[in-house]
Amino acid sequence: MLQLWNERLRRHQLNQFKYLRLIFNDNFVLAFIVLIGALGFWYSNLLGTIHQQLTFGKPIVIVLLFLVVQAGGIATLLEEPDSTFLLVKEKEFYKYFRAAKNYSSFLPVVTVALANFLLSAFASRGAGLHILDIVLIAIGLIVFKLGFLNINLLELYGQAKIGSLGMRLVSNLIVLVSLILSTYLFSAVMIIVAVVYYFFLNARVKTLETSGQLQWDYAIETENQRMFRVKRFYNLFTDVPGVTSKIKRRKWLDWVFKPIKEVSGNTYLYLFARGFVRNNEYIGLFLRLTIIQAIMLALIDNFYISLIVEMLFIYLVGFQLKPYFKEVMQNLMQRLYPISGKTKIADFTKLSTIILAIQWVISALAILYKFGFSMNSLIIIVAGLAVLIFVNYFYMPRQLKKYLD
Amino acid sequence: MTLEVKELTGGYGQVSVLKKETFTVESGQVVGLIGLNGAGKSTTIKHIIGLLTPRGGQILIDGISLHDDVEKYRKKIAYVPEMPILYPELTLREHIDLTIMAYDLDHDKTWENANQLLKTFRLDNKLDWFPQNFSKGMKQKVMIVCAFMTDASLFIIDEPFTGLDPLAVNDLLNIVEAKRKAGCSVLMSTHVLATVQNHADKFVLINHGQVRADGTLDQLKTKFNMNADSNLDDIYIKMSNEDL
Repeated sequence: MLQLWNERLRRHQLNQFKYLRLIFNDNFVLAFIVLIGALGFWYSNLLGTIHQQLTFGKPIVIVLLFLVVQAGGIATLLEEPDSTFLLVKEKEFYKYFRAAKNYSSFLPVVTVALANFLLSAFASRGAGLHILDIVLIAIGLIVFKLGFLNINLLELYGQAKIGSLGMRLVSNLIVLVSLILSTYLFSAVMIIVAVVYYFFLNARVKTLETSGQLQWDYAIETENQRMFRVKRFYNLFTDVPGVTSKIKRRKWLDWVFKPIKEVSGNTYLYLFARGFVRNNEYIGLFLRLTIIQAIMLALIDNFYISLIVEMLFIYLVGFQLKPYFKEVMQNLMQRLYPISGKTKIADFTKLSTIILAIQWVISALAILYKFGFSMNSLIIIVAGLAVLIFVNYFYMPRQLKKYLD
Repeated sequence: MTLEVKELTGGYGQVSVLKKETFTVESGQVVGLIGLNGAGKSTTIKHIIGLLTPRGGQILIDGISLHDDVEKYRKKIAYVPEMPILYPELTLREHIDLTIMAYDLDHDKTWENANQLLKTFRLDNKLDWFPQNFSKGMKQKVMIVCAFMTDASLFIIDEPFTGLDPLAVNDLLNIVEAKRKAGCSVLMSTHVLATVQNHADKFVLINHGQVRADGTLDQLKTKFNMNADSNLDDIYIKMSNEDL
């Protein structure tokens, strides 16, 4: 069983590595650095404005830490055929899951530690916590998270209950109360509660080895959903096979398509426009990036950073639309249409021009809000327009050609 | 409409699946393309509709090849794939509209045809459904509607009978018959020999990427030295046994 786990882990890591390498391409790294920089800039500005303890300082710290503890679960790497082929090995799966839990502990622990580290500046300034308090709470949270992961295991065996209450709910109540107590009263509460909690759950998990009955369907379904979430995330940056995004009818948006006349030349515009609006992935991407961009532009009052944000985000939306064209080109039926590749690309460019133009207008409004009617505003807005033109008339047509066949 | 496949050689990548295939489909003919799994039926079809490029030989529809005039060639063909292929983001109604636009068909006249077909296949009340709500058989019916509502003159159907309910099989055969009477041609690949035996005028037997024999049932019987009361099943099994 351990061998099976190690083999699967190796394959899983190889896969993750492959996708991560695709994600961290030049474009993304550039965007990432700018984003981190902008956020750091904003955070340090924010800290600069805090001169005394805030009333909402402690509640904010509590809520943020509470949310961070929720992050991460066990990756079991179970596969669909397991429930048929490995059914006889059910007893031995306990060891497999223990190994899975050990592996899955790393990321949540790092996340909790990192979040505490980043939050410490705010916690000491805004919430008036002493550095020792912050460290004690952080260690307590890490121990708590290690215990919390056991609930995932108990759930796989359908035993995550205390009486009629779900353990997840109980744990969340415990961590919330401990956080409140340790920030307002005595910071060691978190650690003490966490250690007790950790040993209690560990003991509970040990009983699974002899008396547990694995809930196969639940376990496989949970793992599938987890993989789906991971892959959907990767899919934002690169193509992941086997990920189909949600389609929603959005009838109330049908008026958007009205101007598209139903003539042969518009065949692909008809298709692309509907796909873009109804496919959660692409409309979601556009909305996310446009909103983040608008918020950043409205907050940052540094000319150079705003200029980069304006240009980069317009480029990014255009860049991220390309996979949609590829997706449609992979449909066999459309390859039989008596319509030339040139028309397909022209129709897609029409769509991307409209999308980027909407984004450009929204970002221009955010810039005007921050910089007013000034030379700086004008330069940034014109730069955005230049990127829009570059993407649609130079970049897209060239890039899309390779997807035609 | 005449489809001529002349000495067609081709396949995927470097491997030649098809070796010098030659056969024709005349106007008003229904032709059955028959062979074992992996014999090259689907590959032949993919070459005809132009998804694969022949390595040798020629495929002509009314004397023109895909290379001569892509749009003209493609407008003559309607294709129903083995596995239904639909756009996840479009409703059934929009699939029909899109096909009308793509093939530059007359909107009202085509919708008239489409409505009739939709009624036949009991899809007329599902026009606003998305493909994800359809069962496999329903998706296949959508493909059939989108193909047969066009004014193509050559209809190519890959394995049409698997996955359809018996009523739908019967409906499809009626539609094929109507197209034949209108002077169109139909080329279908299938394993359901009993059905195709009664509804096709001619059969092309493919084995190892080559046309082993073609002709009417009677002609095939003579070629394989079978007695008069043998059927397509017997011929098929005899052909398969030749390899042993």
